Amino acid sequence: MIWSLNEIEATCRKAARGAGFSWGLAEEAGKAARWLTEQGHPGANLIARLLIRHDGIAMSQLAPVRTEGVWAAPGGMLCPIIAGTALSDRAALVVNVGELTIGQIAVPLVLCYFARALLGPDIQSVNLSWDRAQATVTEIGLHVTGAPAAVHAESTQTVSIKANLAAFAMQIPPPSDRSVSAKTVVQLQAFAQRTYAPATDLSRSAGAGAGETDND
Amino acid sequence: MLPSDQTVAAITPRDPAIVMRLARMGSFHQCRLSFMRVLLRRLESEHWAFDRPAFQTDARGVGHAVYRMTGPDRAYSLVAFAHDLPPDQRSDRVIATAWDATFTLFDGTPTDADIARLSQNVPKQEAGRVTATEITVSRANRSVRLFDHVIQCLSQGNQPDMTDVDAVGYLMRTTAVYGSGKLGAVDRESIAERPEFAAPFQAEMLTVFLIRAFVLDLVEHLAKASGGDRAVPLDPSLRRRFGIGNSTGLGMAPFLLNHPILLNNWIAAREEALARIRSLPAASEPEAAAFRKYLARAQLHVAGWHTDHPAQTAKLKALNTDLAKLTAHLAQANLTAQNPWNRLWFWAEQALSLEGQELLVSLLMEPYGPLVDGLSSCMSADEDRGFRIDGAMTAGSLRGLLRDIYGWALDIDWTSPDAQENVWYVSEEKLEPRLGKRQQEPVEAYEQPLCPGRDAARLFRDLAGEPDAAPIADFLLRHPQHRHIARRAQIAARYPYAEIRDNTIAADLLPIDLLRAKLSFFGACHFDPRSNRWVRINMFRNAPFPHEIGTRPVAGWTYPDLDGTTG
Repeated sequence: MIWSLNEIEATCRKAARGAGFSWGLAEEAGKAARWLTEQGHPGANLIARLLIRHDGIAMSQLAPVRTEGVWAAPGGMLCPIIAGTALSDRAALVVNVGELTIGQIAVPLVLCYFARALLGPDIQSVNLSWDRAQATVTEIGLHVTGAPAAVHAESTQTVSIKANLAAFAMQIPPPSDRSVSAKTVVQLQAFAQRTYAPATDLSRSAGAGAGETDND
Repeated sequence: MLPSDQTVAAITPRDPAIVMRLARMGSFHQCRLSFMRVLLRRLESEHWAFDRPAFQTDARGVGHAVYRMTGPDRAYSLVAFAHDLPPDQRSDRVIATAWDATFTLFDGTPTDADIARLSQNVPKQEAGRVTATEITVSRANRSVRLFDHVIQCLSQGNQPDMTDVDAVGYLMRTTAVYGSGKLGAVDRESIAERPEFAAPFQAEMLTVFLIRAFVLDLVEHLAKASGGDRAVPLDPSLRRRFGIGNSTGLGMAPFLLNHPILLNNWIAAREEALARIRSLPAASEPEAAAFRKYLARAQLHVAGWHTDHPAQTAKLKALNTDLAKLTAHLAQANLTAQNPWNRLWFWAEQALSLEGQELLVSLLMEPYGPLVDGLSSCMSADEDRGFRIDGAMTAGSLRGLLRDIYGWALDIDWTSPDAQENVWYVSEEKLEPRLGKRQQEPVEAYEQPLCPGRDAARLFRDLAGEPDAAPIADFLLRHPQHRHIARRAQIAARYPYAEIRDNTIAADLLPIDLLRAKLSFFGACHFDPRSNRWVRINMFRNAPFPHEIGTRPVAGWTYPDLDGTTG
């Protein structure tokens, strides 16, 4: 199924909320899915896999606490939405230090969306590397090298992030075909479903036009 | 210093604390910056051409048609599918599953293959899929009161009675006009760079403008099919009195809350227009005369505005009184004296109801196209510009923002049931925004983030323990539930009209205020609330038709002419 970017963003936002993220974090999940899609990656699929992996785990277990300079989650596995927003919120501090190591984390490619926050007048590109994947983020977009299995990895032990003064010559990524698999659609909609209130007799009678004669 | 002695060098736009109140926003009227008017000005100034490459409907009105507007660089085609819907299936609710007519706005000119593909999807609306060559998807239902009646009159060689036409004002009502990526259509961002889409909602307004032309053609076609040689077309002047109706309910209400930068840009453009006019040191005789004429035309417009809704009835009564007061005031006011509009404005703030004050904002713009029309290019928004949270902001700064922007909310006792009586949620059954009662329905767990005042008060409370100098990044990591409202506060700090300064979940909330504010920017008129949650409007009433662009001036079309003909 071909989805518009707005559908990808809105569905991932709802799905993340359904999976237990706060509204503010769910908004970031939607934006990340959209941006990754624009960069030619299966953003909706990556977010769906992430939500399935985190389902049922308390958010506090997925959030970073610092241990000896390396970000790590109390539950072992960091969530890239939570770690990513923390990275984005601390952009100035991270830029000052120049590099950062993030410990075990799910779907590391999602971090690239948030690494854009480090870009600025001084920082021209940001490198992220994990396992056999390398990603470079610039104002133009995202450039990755590595096999798809490594780039779209379910998880990794360590992500190294480095803010660079030097520019990185990059072509604008080819437009994504925005195709979302039927399986991903079902998975995301199942999470989104959790944000919908079951109808009651009272709610049925309280709709905007309920009970009114509108056929005239 | 008395207001009348004020010099005009530095009239600043009105304070958001005054403008961004729901009662005032629920009294907004269409104006030169409304999106329908922006569209028609562009079609006229750029000499857009209209044609009708296809009109293939049978005697029952079943078939399809293509209505095309061609501009300097591109063409857009409304593809219309007309159906013969049994009366018992007709419903204005957004949740219906069958319609009298369905539409899509196609980017360019559709091929036969496109039409075939669209015929399999557009009639199904939400249950179908369109592609990135489609810009909008829409549907409409016939007016039971008027549609068949007009066909019957025309088929027998008679014109319908003007009183009947004016009592309804349209032959079909749209129940949704979807754009911006809905149902697989093109993302707004992909076409936002085109000059014709620089102002907001231009594709949606073009869709409705062409739907209106199709609907009028359809009734004349059906009259001809039924009456043969006896049938007559509508008299052109009477024909223009038909707009397109629209029913809008709670589904649209959250839009302004969900697009804070866009809301800011709409309001900021309108407020800047008012400030520019109030700052004028003098008005010329023709400008003063034009204003007086538009005031008289506005009185005709208001006289043709009907509603049975008690609150709107009271507001209309006040508006009629306002117009009489304004007319009497103008009879003795010297509009060519110094700072005439600012003097008039200060008088109006004391003398008129909110309806009257906000209509005056619209009327003041009418003589001043060159001064205000360009502001329409500032009304679009890239919401991404406000998305990234500045985590280096200190807790002290955030507290200051909250006091400035949400001070009204910090003063509310949120433990009172009335303060939080309502919950915005999405129902599983209809997938539409709903408003539930917090104490009576099990919906709180599904609450949507559409209550910025309450959320700001909660954030302020939880910030209490943070040292002034602490960056909010650490706080937000510990309190992710505040991330949404922290973002809004930072947006509102940069965009002064981004936030509504009222409680959007209060017991006395009128969702129609949110609807009216948005619809007035579209250019809608004749607001007729059917309940506190649902409003009917009229779009493009009195406007020229697509084939008349270039031969009939579009200026001032929303106001009836003083001789009783259309604008």
